[in-house]
Amino acid sequence: MGVIGKRVAYYPGCSLEGAARAYDVSTRIVAKELGLELDYLEDYNCCGAMESKNVTFMGTMLLNARNMSLARKQGHNVIVAPCNGCSFSLQRAEYFLETDRAVFEKVNALLREGGVDPLDQIPQTYHILEWFYHEAGPQKVKEKTRKPLRGLKVANYYGCLYTRPHFYARTYAHAGGQEEEVRPRRRDTADDDEHPYYMNALLEAAGATSVEFEPMHTQCCGGPHSLSDEAVSEKFVMMILQTAKRNGADIIATECPLCHASLEMYRHRLMLKGVPDVDVPAAYFTQLLGLAFGYSANDVKLKDNLSDPLPVLKRLGLA
Amino acid sequence: MAIHERSLVEPERILRKERLVVDGVDVSGDWNLIILPRVINDYDLDFAKEIINSPDGKTINQCYQCSYCTASCPVHNYWDERYNPRHFIYLARLGLIDELQKRADVMWRCVSCHKCTHRCPKGVLVEEVLKVILRTMAKKGLIDEYPSKKFDKFFTESVLEYGRIEDGELLFGWIEKQGYKVFKDPILKKPIPFLGETPEWLKQLTIKPIKSMNIGFLVLNAKHMLFHPRTKNWSRFKQVLRKVMQEEGALSH
Repeated sequence: MGVIGKRVAYYPGCSLEGAARAYDVSTRIVAKELGLELDYLEDYNCCGAMESKNVTFMGTMLLNARNMSLARKQGHNVIVAPCNGCSFSLQRAEYFLETDRAVFEKVNALLREGGVDPLDQIPQTYHILEWFYHEAGPQKVKEKTRKPLRGLKVANYYGCLYTRPHFYARTYAHAGGQEEEVRPRRRDTADDDEHPYYMNALLEAAGATSVEFEPMHTQCCGGPHSLSDEAVSEKFVMMILQTAKRNGADIIATECPLCHASLEMYRHRLMLKGVPDVDVPAAYFTQLLGLAFGYSANDVKLKDNLSDPLPVLKRLGLA
Repeated sequence: MAIHERSLVEPERILRKERLVVDGVDVSGDWNLIILPRVINDYDLDFAKEIINSPDGKTINQCYQCSYCTASCPVHNYWDERYNPRHFIYLARLGLIDELQKRADVMWRCVSCHKCTHRCPKGVLVEEVLKVILRTMAKKGLIDEYPSKKFDKFFTESVLEYGRIEDGELLFGWIEKQGYKVFKDPILKKPIPFLGETPEWLKQLTIKPIKSMNIGFLVLNAKHMLFHPRTKNWSRFKQVLRKVMQEEGALSH
């Protein structure tokens, strides 16, 4: 505990200031309750997500290097991003800047040309879940819980890029023994790669019950193809929702605005088509933690969720 | 006898006989299947060189064709078995462009879940390599427009212009690109949701929660759609970004 730092640069990403406002608001609430401090990264730019990297390599390096440079300017060595896509993009840039000297030098020259301070050192990026788990942890969550999520059965959906690939996310098999050689970039605070459990641990500490959800907990939701390849996304989301429902989940806890939006959008489309067992609503894990900490449904903006988890939570007396 | 990865062999090259007698010995059941050999002579070795020369594609040569990536791939397993990352890497390294072109209709379907990269025992950045293959093919004009490329370009242009993206613009802009007539306000030329054509699911999706949603959320998103959030001090950086992308040939194709 306490190896990452209590005060970090907070890179919310574009989505959290628009359609995923609920995630931003509830993240700030949870951080405040857990005694952690988020330093908003002023004037950040888009990370390029999963889309821009298919068009341009150097462009995405530059986009992320600019954000890193801003974090360094604000005096931070650690960036925390709540979105899988954002943390992936920053970690990807971190990988190429660290391993490829030519890329690093070219990026620094271009940053200077663009009027941004060059990087003196490369800040590390963490997903917000990893940060919560290591700086506060289940014990602290338990202490802060005033209204336990008793009786709530949660399917913890991690999505792809929180644990993968290990080159960027630095995850490793916690049960394994000889990982040092094959995972040169592993980080001790990182989650288990194929069986992530940080979200389970935090929500269980808040009183919820996790349902069996493997292997769908890290199955893709369609991600960057949510809009451009509807048929595939629809099938993937159907598999995720049906597994959750059939394993008895009341709600799906998410930790990425894109996964969340994709699940909610295709849940609705599947329901219109009359596909069975897909009516599980989704909520950000920070929203659920916020409820457990005694905040109201309005405080954590539960009404922003298109899939409307309120009826389920009301039925269990949690909201 | 079963053929491993049968979808990779053209049906006309597979010979199977119900009863086969060779030199008086009945070999039906075990040896009744023959795959005709083929001769390849139009390969392009420069293609692989171009991939190796890009920083995100240089791990392609570490591949030893174990197919762990294909076995992990959700698109291969749950959608179309013709989507085969191992095979694409094989074809790209040999420079068999026409074989790659035959699979152009599935090659773009990668959802970037990174199971392949994560599990590769040889440290190949499989997902990155596949995207570099696609990017190189597009650059050389070897592949037609495909949906995800259209979206990627649309997304990147928005980032380049404003420094940030906005969900409403992406959603309605993409709907417009698919041929729906989106209504735009006359002054700012921004799409106004639900006054023009909208897919039925989207109408249904928004009508229901609008009633129950808090007004602040709707106002915030409407504001963002009309006045796109921007990164300050962006113009100088934008020029550098544009220059870099032009050097890579990212803006032309």
